[in-house]
Amino acid sequence: MPSDKRVELKGGMYTFMSLKIGVADVDIVDESLADKVQQAPGFFADTPIVVDLTPLDEDPDTRDALDGSALMACIRKHKLVPMVAATGDKSSPLAKAVEVPLIEGGAARRPTAEDVPKTSAADAANNTRPTNEPVSSSEVEYIIRPPMLIDRPVRSGQQIYARDTDLIIIGQVGPGAEVIADNNIHVYGPLRGRALCGVSGNRSTRIFCQSLEAELVSVAGNYRMLETIPEELRGKPAKIALDNERLNIEPL
Amino acid sequence: MTKTIVVTSGKGGVGKTTTSASIATGLARRGFKTVVIDFDVGLRNLDLIMGCERRVVYDLVNLVNQESSLHQTLIKDKRLDNLYILPASQTRDKDALTIEGIARVMHKLKKAEFDYIICDSPAGIEKGAKMALYFADEAVVTTNPEVSSVRDSDRILGILQSESKRSKMNEDPVKEHLLITRYNPSRVKDGQMLSVDDIVDLLAIPLLGIIPESPSVLESSNAGKPVILDEESAAGQAYSDAIDRLLGEAKPHRFMEVQKKGILSRLFG
Ligand SMILES: Nc1ncnc2c1ncn2[C@@H]1O[C@H](COP(=O)(O)OP(=O)(O)OP(=O)(O)O)[C@@H](O)[C@H]1O
Ligand SMILES: [Mg+2]
Repeated sequence: MPSDKRVELKGGMYTFMSLKIGVADVDIVDESLADKVQQAPGFFADTPIVVDLTPLDEDPDTRDALDGSALMACIRKHKLVPMVAATGDKSSPLAKAVEVPLIEGGAARRPTAEDVPKTSAADAANNTRPTNEPVSSSEVEYIIRPPMLIDRPVRSGQQIYARDTDLIIIGQVGPGAEVIADNNIHVYGPLRGRALCGVSGNRSTRIFCQSLEAELVSVAGNYRMLETIPEELRGKPAKIALDNERLNIEPL
Repeated sequence: MTKTIVVTSGKGGVGKTTTSASIATGLARRGFKTVVIDFDVGLRNLDLIMGCERRVVYDLVNLVNQESSLHQTLIKDKRLDNLYILPASQTRDKDALTIEGIARVMHKLKKAEFDYIICDSPAGIEKGAKMALYFADEAVVTTNPEVSSVRDSDRILGILQSESKRSKMNEDPVKEHLLITRYNPSRVKDGQMLSVDDIVDLLAIPLLGIIPESPSVLESSNAGKPVILDEESAAGQAYSDAIDRLLGEAKPHRFMEVQKKGILSRLFG
């Protein structure tokens, strides 16, 4: 009998955004999430996420004082869709209260942008940060990934995300399309939609494009809308980088 | 080999049904056995434009639900021997269609040795439009020279790339054609409408044709006769050119310039 292709059960690897909860206070989580979502409206809408509770395991007492169902309600309020929670202690009161399936998390993690000591004072917004590590990653070495190459136009309503790497687009990014990368973004064509680089916090990432007509550009959460981009830079080749807190747009 | 072409747009009222009727008629006139399917379940327009509304007995939903046979459901065109119309249902809603059901219909049409299956998509980017484009080998993306229409076309191109059968099966991508309809050169000149160059630049797909805004389109629809059969009209000629290009012929684009009015048309408007 031929194998039944209509329904297949098999293992697979998928990339999910994970939301790291670094503070046992729903109000602060709420505030920082509002901040994140506002920086990139639409980017997070209805995104399935893994809620990473492992940072809270360091202090079990404060962890267990956190109201799990209020935390989940808060996450859902911001239009994120929690699917599973990662925790080092599946029997903690918090783990029992989150109402989503649990997976084992914690232990080793690979260095990311957040491990670089911060020069500026850490603000509340840094207590939650969407990152994109595989949840049970045991890699310790930093891995250099090849860039993600898209050799067709990115259309309105499409979203392309290059995890932990550069995104190269040969063709245009249409209005209403979104290109997102943890590293740099290169667009060999007009950039008319939204481009967000350094989304997991890497502030030294940049956006390059052949014709800047973007609805929004963002580097590590610092964004500018088209209205605030000077007229003389529009429609021309440009590079966009972060200079302290300011988003710098320069002709290429 | 049967070729399936979807006529789609995202935005409503841009001329999909007008285009489907003319493309199907044009291909049939060039000798290809052609069927045109109305996917706009619940509205049903195509049979009016093809002038066969009084002969509709069974429809696409009946066929999908295996309540009628292909032979019973297809309506033979009254002018061309090798042209058939598969009408939509007026009484059922879009949920009556399933991909499996449509797959069965497509299979039957292939077995009946049709050269072309033209799918007239409903407006929108929802289920109905996705069903209409699912089996497409080629797509005629119908766009009016306005920002909202171009944006919707861009959106539908994205859906073609990600949700068509070809994309899901990792086959060669759906071949895309841009058809600009209701083009009015004098309004382009006034800056009230986007120009051909603007649209081609925004969508970045090959241009199949430019159909000018023309009163003969409505006249033809009212007469139940696809406008491509009106050889006097600019719209009819433009559709004819588009058929030639669809079949691989290189033809220069016409109807892009403001027509200088002759003394007669200046007098009689
Ligand atoms: N080239 C043209 N010149 C003038 N009028 C046109 C032209 N093309 C289409 N129209 C008119 O525009 C209207 C809509 O056309 P049509 O029904 O073909 O669009 P549609 O995209 O199928 O609409 P829907 O989204 O509702 O299915 C009709 O009244 C038709 O006569
Ligand atoms: Mg229609």
